Amino acid sequence: MKHTLSVSWGLAFRSLILVRRMPSVFLPSLIMPLFILVSTAGAFRGISQLPVFGGASYLAFTIPLATVMGAGFAGINAGMTLARDIEGGFVDRLIASPAPRITLILGPLMAAGLRSLFTTTVVLMAGLIGGVGLPGLFGTLVIYLLAIGFSAATACWAMGVALRARTIQAAPLMQIAVFLSVFLSVAYAPREALTGWLRHISNVNPVTYLIEASRAAELSYLGWDELWKGAAAVAIMVGLLGLWALKGLSGLARR
Amino acid sequence: MKLALIQTGALARRAIIGTLRTPQALVPGLFFPLVLMAIFTASFGAAPGAIPGFPPVRSFLDFAIAGAILQGILIGGTTAGAAFALDIEGGFFDRLVASPVSRTAILIGRLVGGVVVAMAQTLLFLAIGIAFGVRVEGGVWGVCVLLVLAALLSVAISGLGVFLALRSGSAEAVQGTFPLFFALLFFSSAFFPRETMSGWFKVVADINPISYLVEAMRDQVIVGHAPRATLIGLGVVVGLAAAAIAACWAAFNRRLEGPL
Repeated sequence: MKHTLSVSWGLAFRSLILVRRMPSVFLPSLIMPLFILVSTAGAFRGISQLPVFGGASYLAFTIPLATVMGAGFAGINAGMTLARDIEGGFVDRLIASPAPRITLILGPLMAAGLRSLFTTTVVLMAGLIGGVGLPGLFGTLVIYLLAIGFSAATACWAMGVALRARTIQAAPLMQIAVFLSVFLSVAYAPREALTGWLRHISNVNPVTYLIEASRAAELSYLGWDELWKGAAAVAIMVGLLGLWALKGLSGLARR
Repeated sequence: MKLALIQTGALARRAIIGTLRTPQALVPGLFFPLVLMAIFTASFGAAPGAIPGFPPVRSFLDFAIAGAILQGILIGGTTAGAAFALDIEGGFFDRLVASPVSRTAILIGRLVGGVVVAMAQTLLFLAIGIAFGVRVEGGVWGVCVLLVLAALLSVAISGLGVFLALRSGSAEAVQGTFPLFFALLFFSSAFFPRETMSGWFKVVADINPISYLVEAMRDQVIVGHAPRATLIGLGVVVGLAAAAIAACWAAFNRRLEGPL
């Protein structure tokens, strides 16, 4: 167990060190959540005049979307790094070594979680600059934990794709699924304001409950109802997508 | 002159076929704008009539379709520029220059190819919009104006892409401009009216030429007869297209003169 954790940490550290050595790989995943925060809050600010928003600031309303997107990018990065490692032969060397195979998933998973801490902090700081204060210790902790949870889910998805496709050319598939899962939820407006098909999809989309919990924390009305639904959504996503990644790993090992 | 026209037609046809045969070039310009339009329409469907400053429209879809058309052309234009860069990278451009093909035809052929794709894309978006209930208040005349605006915008964006391709010779460098267009699009009134914006964001949207272009397109759908918005939009896009062509021509001559 200790050996597994130390190898996983080594792989996570290797992935994190790329942030410093290859900023061009990491910067887009940092800039995009900020871009989404600023452009969404600026362009669609007027929608918050609908009574269903209850007078909430649209910037504060958008912060959970940006933290979740940042976490999603961190997860996608984990899959892209794994795909590059498979193409470059690093994974083959690791499989031939005495390192436990599960570390191939655990390492990038840890790296994604740590990266999501960073992107969440940057988004919350941007909110502070825009005049939205932090929602207290518990609320802030919930926002961080939900972001880590989403980064784990998206990392499992992206790694599952990487382990099956075994090429970096599968990156658009990793990205599109994450974008759609976020945008087909309550990304821009609360469920009560959604109309038609999107309302039905958002009702069954677990990302809806994750964003709603994060939003409730950000806007300081977090209750047990939002919290358990958000936690259950994360657990379901991580559980199912974790199985998807593990199955991909066993397929890779059987080659 | 006749020969130059034939050569332009052949190169334009090559550009169109190249786009149609490359799904990864065609699909993003169709998929993303339509998906975003559908999501925005379902997310902001309650906005018309409920938010002060929102223009009177029958539905949010009527309001959103111009933004989707514009986004599709921005993506398609970048792709056209990247395709020209691939011609340079692959040596096809050098072979063309060494042949007796008119040099004007090399540039204009690529731009005309982009224009045809942009106009077809605009008609497709309108057809899909109309199938889902969009009504173009400007009628046939409004559709014609939309097509002219789309064509000129395509010249401007493809032209900028071709300019960058000529200067850098790299498809990656041309694709790298996509985030710039993406920012221009989101920091404009492409998806929500300027009247509902405030602060520095409204200032940026006010000076962003994309705002005036999309408003000219949108007014053909939601207003119909809108000479002022149309003229402003036309002025903006003609200026952008002229600047892009001039830049292209200068970069083309510079590339022929010697190594960059």
